Amino acid sequence: MKLAYWPGCVSRGFTPELHGSMAKVAPLLDLELIELDRANCCGAGVIAEHNQELVDTLNARTFAMAQSVEGAAGMINICSTCQGAQSECQERLDASGTYRAEVNAHLAPEGLTYRQGDGWWNKNFLWVLVEEIGLDALRERVQRPLSGLRIAPFYGCYIVRPSKRLGFDEHPERDYYLDMVIEAVGAAPVEYAGARKCCGFPVITMNRTTSLRQAGRHLADALDADADCLVTPCPLCHLNLDLQQPAAAGFVERDLGIAVLHLPQMIGLALGLEPKELGMGKHVVSTGDVQRKVAAVAAAA
Amino acid sequence: MPEYTLKIRRFDPESGEAAYWADYTAELPAERSVLDGILQVKDRTDASIGIRCSCRAAICGSCGVRINGRSALACNTRIGEAAERGRDGAITVEPMGNMPVIKDLITDMEAVHWRKVQRVVPWLIPAEDPPEDQEYIVAAEAMLDVTQAMACIHCGACVSACLSMEVDPNFIGPAALAKAYRFVGDPRDGEHEARLRDLAEDPHGIYDCTHCFACVEVCPKDVAPMDQIMRLRRRATEDFQIKDQNNGYGHEKAFVNLIEKYGTNHEAQLLPRSFGDGSLVKGQLRPSGAKQLTRELPTALRGLRTGKVTPKKALLHPRLPDQKQVRRIFQEVESHGERIELNLYIVGELAGEEEEGAFAEDAGET
Amino acid sequence: MPAHDVLIIGAGLAGQRAALAAAREGATVAIMSKVHPVRSHSNAAAGGINAALNPDDSWESHAFDTVKGSDYLGDQDAIEIMCREAPDEVLWLEHSGVTFHRNETGHLGTRAFGGASAARTYYVADITGQALLHVLYEQLMKHHEQIDRYEEWFVTNLAQDDAGECVGAIARNIRDGAMELFTAKATIQASGGAGQCFKPTTNALICTGDGIAQSYRIGAPLMDMEMIQYHPTTLAGNGILITEGARGEGAHLYNAEGERFMEKYAPNKMELASRDVVSRAEHTEIIEGRGFPDGTVALDITVVPRKRIHEALREIVNVGRDFAGVDITREPIHIKPGNHYVMGGVKTDIWGQTPITGLYAAGECACVSVHGGNRLGANSLLDTLVFGRRSGEHAARAVSAAPVPEPSRARLTDEERMIGALVTRGSSHRRVSELKAELGRTMDKYVAVFRDENGLRTALEIVQRLKEEAGDVAIDDKGTVFNQDVLGALELEFMLDNAEAIVLSALERKESRGAQHRTDFPQRNDDEWLKHINVEANGDAPAISYSEVTMTQWEPQERTY
Repeated sequence: MKLAYWPGCVSRGFTPELHGSMAKVAPLLDLELIELDRANCCGAGVIAEHNQELVDTLNARTFAMAQSVEGAAGMINICSTCQGAQSECQERLDASGTYRAEVNAHLAPEGLTYRQGDGWWNKNFLWVLVEEIGLDALRERVQRPLSGLRIAPFYGCYIVRPSKRLGFDEHPERDYYLDMVIEAVGAAPVEYAGARKCCGFPVITMNRTTSLRQAGRHLADALDADADCLVTPCPLCHLNLDLQQPAAAGFVERDLGIAVLHLPQMIGLALGLEPKELGMGKHVVSTGDVQRKVAAVAAAA
Repeated sequence: MPEYTLKIRRFDPESGEAAYWADYTAELPAERSVLDGILQVKDRTDASIGIRCSCRAAICGSCGVRINGRSALACNTRIGEAAERGRDGAITVEPMGNMPVIKDLITDMEAVHWRKVQRVVPWLIPAEDPPEDQEYIVAAEAMLDVTQAMACIHCGACVSACLSMEVDPNFIGPAALAKAYRFVGDPRDGEHEARLRDLAEDPHGIYDCTHCFACVEVCPKDVAPMDQIMRLRRRATEDFQIKDQNNGYGHEKAFVNLIEKYGTNHEAQLLPRSFGDGSLVKGQLRPSGAKQLTRELPTALRGLRTGKVTPKKALLHPRLPDQKQVRRIFQEVESHGERIELNLYIVGELAGEEEEGAFAEDAGET
Repeated sequence: MPAHDVLIIGAGLAGQRAALAAAREGATVAIMSKVHPVRSHSNAAAGGINAALNPDDSWESHAFDTVKGSDYLGDQDAIEIMCREAPDEVLWLEHSGVTFHRNETGHLGTRAFGGASAARTYYVADITGQALLHVLYEQLMKHHEQIDRYEEWFVTNLAQDDAGECVGAIARNIRDGAMELFTAKATIQASGGAGQCFKPTTNALICTGDGIAQSYRIGAPLMDMEMIQYHPTTLAGNGILITEGARGEGAHLYNAEGERFMEKYAPNKMELASRDVVSRAEHTEIIEGRGFPDGTVALDITVVPRKRIHEALREIVNVGRDFAGVDITREPIHIKPGNHYVMGGVKTDIWGQTPITGLYAAGECACVSVHGGNRLGANSLLDTLVFGRRSGEHAARAVSAAPVPEPSRARLTDEERMIGALVTRGSSHRRVSELKAELGRTMDKYVAVFRDENGLRTALEIVQRLKEEAGDVAIDDKGTVFNQDVLGALELEFMLDNAEAIVLSALERKESRGAQHRTDFPQRNDDEWLKHINVEANGDAPAISYSEVTMTQWEPQERTY
């Protein structure tokens, strides 16, 4: 399946292991990703705060580029925040022809136009896995079932709320997909309070306590539920849960030390790739334990 | 007629015992509400169950509870759907979160919700004396605009669901801040700047919102409190240039400037610029900026150690190939002089039904 | 023991407005409500508030529409006052911050409403009542130093001194069960209507006629209690209201045969005829077999432009979706007449005074009367505000020099003992909910849109039997914190007092006028019945009397729409 591919900013910035692992995993799922390397940041909710017309135009530009990719079924992103920010803009653009025309006027000098309709979609990798590839097809490709691994899903706010804007009418189980994918790759999804809560990233500069208390609590809850690691489809969540984990521990006054995987890394492991090629050495909180467990499973098999 | 199991969280403050779950059965059609189910149990089985309720039509805001963990009004949650979403078909009903519980499903709204509402000075402070024998003249769009915040019925569902409040009980919160917008968005009020300054400088104010959409998700009236908070931020930064001590202004400016310059986010500069009201230099040299940066040093070092961040990445960041197009877009949009905001609450879906002036032009206050 | 110049019972629009007016006069004010003020049923009034502000309109026109709407039973002096003072009241509301809808020039905008000869209804989307209530509450919060609020306190009875004057009330703090005697030089009952006597009803669960019954018990006469409004557009089953605003925006009514039947009953005003006319029309269509199987007719809102629906009718979109599973922008919704409003209530003069010294009443619980036999839409909000203000002002001025009453604490002890006895009562008798349900069914069957002698007599027997049984209802909750069970038992007794007065008055009026339609006396009979019917407590046999209808300018005419 050919897809226009928006990798986002952070995957090429502070979480290069995400970008790298996605590149390795895509061919194994028969995904041909055409990277939109001329496209701009989605705004991450911050530009929307500043000026809606601006962020709608910036994302319309990305959509227009994606729509010009010949033969692409749709657009794929690898970040919950991109998904949420872009869905918000798309909702406004699709709601009014007059507004859309205004926005397209800004794109015209570049020869770009965002077209509404025709069933064009923008989906996060998680949604693509379940809706476009299918859990059965995923299960068939699993080389190394992650049996015995207890994985706590961390969705990221922007991909589960508000449900009306994120297509839950058509796909009511989207807030359960990560659990389903964890199961499909042979691992056991862990139930814990923080799965669909906020990692705190949006306020890390504005109220560090509020930010890291959240991250700390959810990590602690996952640990208390005997999770071996977390997995998340959002690199911004990953930053607050992994990069900031040592600092977060201070805000909940306990040791943490639980690895956080990117979704493509978990998929990659199940599809038979090695931790090193998935960049699992680049995490702040060591993924050593997870790697050992995975190796043990493979050895036992 | 279908039967439903309601697992209700009981708490008797006079018993000295902790809260506990009790199971009850209700028999009613699937389209009836969870409140109808609870009232049936009260009527037939146990009239001591405490729940506030009045209008049964999602207007009075009395019956806020958590159903299957989700904050909602009991009266407009259909019992059949609740059962489908419940574990093993049972519907759990417990009191709202983030508030003390008085008894059973009744929480102390005064202690949390109303205290916060009063914090935002929730009455009109007119800019001018009223004209004699006449109404204040106000643009129709402005009144339509604040109707969204006015639609709040003070049910507390947003307060209950608020994830910031869960970790920071002093956060002013979604309901109170949405109420604050009702005044900041009202042209007759003369205290916009003072209100915004107050809420921007308060560490538990508008910049303590963790932007998680939980309140938007649960509000039964589509008030979208988080959206109102974002509008408060927008007014504070754009209309009054309030450079708050919480780095709210700085963070927004930093992010926007970086995208205008590079097209994608230059993370290494995001933090220092946030601490410097958008300026890289200020962020590093100003005492408060330097102090905050220093606090982030251990994190930065960890990033370097693991190879996530390289010195090259920290210093250089590529511009997009057509970055001048992106800059052009910035200039075009920002030179309008007016901010265009398409509020779908007001206009709904117009696709296929276009008319003139379909969206509100918000002149802002310059 | 709390003592104030003015004690206001009920914190809906009338109560809050009275509080603000009394405080403005310098009185010490207490306002008390059994629910948090913003939960008051005023918040359910959707459509708007009437005022002849438009220079092309006139208060006389508004007054005439109201007089005609009342089927000539309204007291014209009171109506003139209400309509004359309406424009100032609306401006006062706007100055206080109400976010009224505007037209293109930025002035207050109007919408069309039932029974009106000109567009004079001012509104805030379809949450006008809520908007007014919340803005008034904002003002109460602002003036918290002058107005003491007692939120979630339940008045069990009014307090009387030996001379029979009203000196305050006994109330229970719902939160912790503590009871207190509140002394006041003047007490204003503003505790709303009694729709819960009927099932189904548009009214909230709190509308149990507490204040009407309490006033009745200390000797205040009730007037026009037979005049019960059935709102034309309510959902079958749960009685939830679809605002008249829908018809104001152009919605049509159809029977099952696709006929726009209002043509037959009100060819000029059609769907915007007076509410009693429309309710009777619908009811007739239904009982003559032209309704849908679920006993309804159809309201078609799809004819209203979508933009307008979003601007002005979004509550209906929500109600349709949440309570009927219908998208009103795409298909008609089934409705039928449902109990909605009590035109009658505690008899007052144009300042809200009752014949009992020290006792005032305002709002739905009062009967001045401005609504007579039928209330026009958007006049209720006006009634509450104008007479809320007037009673607050008058009470404050009247008592400013008066001494603080010193009622005997025996009254408080009696009430505490009564509650104590209730709480300790066993659970072996009939339950409160059973009696309530039987009352509601009875009133809906025999005392509704169409009534007759036999039906009313049957209803009376049942109500009187229920009154006896109510003295013995089972109580499950033995606690003191938030004991809603005990309050429910008290409310039941209040409801039964209301119901008895309603049925007695309906029996007494042997004619059809306004909302009362008797199939055995189907004509209006001005010669014999152009008068108010009063009911006064008198042990087992309430006393019936009559009082004159005040007429200033308008002689009764035939009432057609």
